[in-house]
Amino acid sequence: MLTEIQEGRALNSVVKHITQEKINLYAEASGDFNPIHLDESFAATTPLGGTIAHGMLNLAYVSEMMTSAFGRSWLSEGKLRAKFKEPARPGDTLTVNGKINCVEQKDDVSYANCIFECLNQKGETIVTGETIVKL
Amino acid sequence: MPVKTISYGELIPGYEFPPATYELSASLVSKYLKAVDSAGDGFVPPLAITACAIAAMTGSFSLPSGTIVIHASQELEFFKLVPIGATIECHIGVAQKITRGKMSILILEFEVLDKGKEKVQSGRATIALPT
Repeated sequence: MLTEIQEGRALNSVVKHITQEKINLYAEASGDFNPIHLDESFAATTPLGGTIAHGMLNLAYVSEMMTSAFGRSWLSEGKLRAKFKEPARPGDTLTVNGKINCVEQKDDVSYANCIFECLNQKGETIVTGETIVKL
Repeated sequence: MPVKTISYGELIPGYEFPPATYELSASLVSKYLKAVDSAGDGFVPPLAITACAIAAMTGSFSLPSGTIVIHASQELEFFKLVPIGATIECHIGVAQKITRGKMSILILEFEVLDKGKEKVQSGRATIALPT
């Protein structure tokens, strides 16, 4: 958990390696069996050129970063907006970075507005977005 | 998984899918945590709940064979902690359906309620389907 909440404070990054096995496990756990995630021969015939990770798998890593920083406040009252820019593929290593962009007061309650990005090993942006968490 | 009751072509803004119910059992949560490579913290991860809602959404309508679905954006709001073993109900509706050139875009909104009908989570997903 963060002990010091201030604008510009970086959140601890989360680094994860994507494998087809993890994508398959996520499909089993989530019930999302879209062949673009699982069927390598089908995916190779599409404009994406191969299987891709579920967008929600990438967001799970963002949520892990937020949980590490803000604990139950995130789990019980968090807000998130995300845009998926590029697909994450098997073999990619994803790094989720985030920081507190600003701290706002509304009705005597403080909220941390954070921004995040998820990059692959080439530095390409996979997901960007913002989160809000009650302090 | 919900039963596919409607084709993509039949979806119109305002359409509401039949609610989908999930039991967030310890084994389901454990499977989810293994998939996302996380230790967990004694509650159902909110993104595991979202995953159920997304699966309910995409599993509720049928697509022409060979169509790929691309998750373009996601908005989420969490309202309460959910204990392992809870049962949730996902309510999903079509907010917008847009065609832009060779891309069809579907915006779906969802609300997740617990057994006491209290709101657990809400969200909005934008999915793109190249045609």
